[in-house]
Amino acid sequence: MPTLEALVLSTVLVGFLGIVFKRNLIMKIIAMDVMSTGVIAFYVLIASRTGVLTPILLSHAGPKTVAQAGESAAAYADPVPQAVILTAIVIGFSIQALMLVGVMKLSRDNPTLDAQSIEEHYSS
Amino acid sequence: MTQLITTVTIVWIALPLFLGFLLYLLPVLDRSLTLAMAVLSAVYGLYQILADSPIDLQLIDSFGVTLLVNSLSGYFILTNALVTAAVVLYCWGDQGLDKAGQKRPRKTAFFFAQLVILHGCVNAVFICADFMSLYVALEVVGITAFSLVAYPRTDRTIWLALRYLMTSNTAMLFYLLGAVLVYQANHSFAFVGLSNAPKDAIALIFLGLLTKGGVFISGLWLPATHAEAEAPVSALLSGIVSKTGVFPLVRCALLVEEIAPIVQIFSIGTAVLGVVGAMLEKDTKRMLAFSTISQMGLVLAAPVAAGFYALTHGLAKAVLFLSAGNLSDRSFDALRKKPMPRSLWIVIAVASLSLSGFPLIAGFNAKIQTLGQLQGWPLIVLNTAAVGTAIVFAKFIFLPFSNTSTELLPISAEGAILLSPQKARPALFPSLFVGYWLAAGLLLSVLLMAGTFYIEDYQLANLLKALGKVGLGWLIYAIALRGPLNLARIRLPRAPERLDHLMGGMSLILVLLFWRVLA
Repeated sequence: MPTLEALVLSTVLVGFLGIVFKRNLIMKIIAMDVMSTGVIAFYVLIASRTGVLTPILLSHAGPKTVAQAGESAAAYADPVPQAVILTAIVIGFSIQALMLVGVMKLSRDNPTLDAQSIEEHYSS
Repeated sequence: MTQLITTVTIVWIALPLFLGFLLYLLPVLDRSLTLAMAVLSAVYGLYQILADSPIDLQLIDSFGVTLLVNSLSGYFILTNALVTAAVVLYCWGDQGLDKAGQKRPRKTAFFFAQLVILHGCVNAVFICADFMSLYVALEVVGITAFSLVAYPRTDRTIWLALRYLMTSNTAMLFYLLGAVLVYQANHSFAFVGLSNAPKDAIALIFLGLLTKGGVFISGLWLPATHAEAEAPVSALLSGIVSKTGVFPLVRCALLVEEIAPIVQIFSIGTAVLGVVGAMLEKDTKRMLAFSTISQMGLVLAAPVAAGFYALTHGLAKAVLFLSAGNLSDRSFDALRKKPMPRSLWIVIAVASLSLSGFPLIAGFNAKIQTLGQLQGWPLIVLNTAAVGTAIVFAKFIFLPFSNTSTELLPISAEGAILLSPQKARPALFPSLFVGYWLAAGLLLSVLLMAGTFYIEDYQLANLLKALGKVGLGWLIYAIALRGPLNLARIRLPRAPERLDHLMGGMSLILVLLFWRVLA
């Protein structure tokens, strides 16, 4: 588990470094996607701390019985972070779509999409 | 009764999102519905301030998804409502002429749809008390702010909007990491869980909120964006959008005691940084943006008094941004050569005096309330920052104005052309129009009225202190910026405002936060 956590967090870091160091705007946006993938994976990782089973009650006897069952109840994954990160995935992808549309518009006058030269061009 | 208020709250928070889509189907009603929504929020906000009976709504189950409406929220909601209403009035009719003498087209339904959705999400930020609802609300605020900044669809505005969205989205990714750490520790997303959470969670969440709120180094994205956006959009960004990052910090500082010292350090840092930036700035709109960075520090300085301070700042800053958009030039040097109409000067002067903390205007009470909560070295530094604010706004107050205001009076620029063709075409102020006066009138009258909330502040000592600070500020302005010292020559480097440096700055702030939090 610690290895997995390290890998997930380094994905976040790699993505962030990509946003800083990549000069092309498209690459920056892709780097942001990598970073957000890392964050999503981190949520899934946290959700699996308690177990990896899908929390669906198989018996129709209700939650009480499952709680009494003890061990089997303990191996469930936590559904809350997974549910929550779904929202973040949707928001993240819509933001990315929006940014790509903006970049498309910019690319007409700035075909290289080099962030630094675009910035110099528009900050004068 | 409680049941009724709960229902009203839920309807009120959901309504703007519904209206946003409805406006698009019924473009005829775009302005009236947006204005009605703002009025509704104003009533709701005022009710919360006066009733002072907090409403606590918990989502079923135990994950801490909570809405908490109290009088602090009330002040922020009222600010949001008034600024939105002013922007709708400003954009209501004919937009006057731009500098090239071209008629500005009326805003489309798209603009108002974005505006009302932004309004709703900002309200949502001001009532939520858990990190997940906050995340969703902040992201939607970011998206709508993007659309509003990019509304003119010129390449320059699209670039600035992109830069804004990229900065804010990256910050929010860090925030998400922090939010899940809070959840892991508490099995709940509620703000109160921050006290149990690992220290890294605090650092990551703060990075997101500081960037969103334009606080300290993380706020350096703000000057370029606020300066290049259109006047009504700048007013929105500065008046309310930047408060969406500050409000959660204030609320966390009130709910979790351990957080308060960190918030205070950043508040002092940002107050000083912003004031120095604003003093050395030569461009009107950029100066106002730097002043926003500094004022966010004063909002954060005393969480108890934050609501009223945010209200007075939001109103005054919105007036100033709307007015600055109608000045003949953006640089102070040029404005010193071309006098502005007296009526416009009066509006600018009242708002500037309010921000400087001049008595009889609500800014005075806000400063007294905020500084009254402080002691020791933070008080000294923030008093210095207050003198700095007086210096900054002296730049506006001492701009020349012409007494023959009749020729420049608003309403119809075309009318002016008919009367005096040679004066009108390269007109000094081609674009003052009815909407501007309605918006400025609304904001200034509330600003003047709000002062009466705290009559007890009018004591001799307070008055002398306030007048002393303003006087000292003006004296320093005369000597250091305009007079023999002429420090105005100094130019601040713009490099830290470049996108790469903004991102790099984020990692520095993160390191700083880790160091402060873990210390």
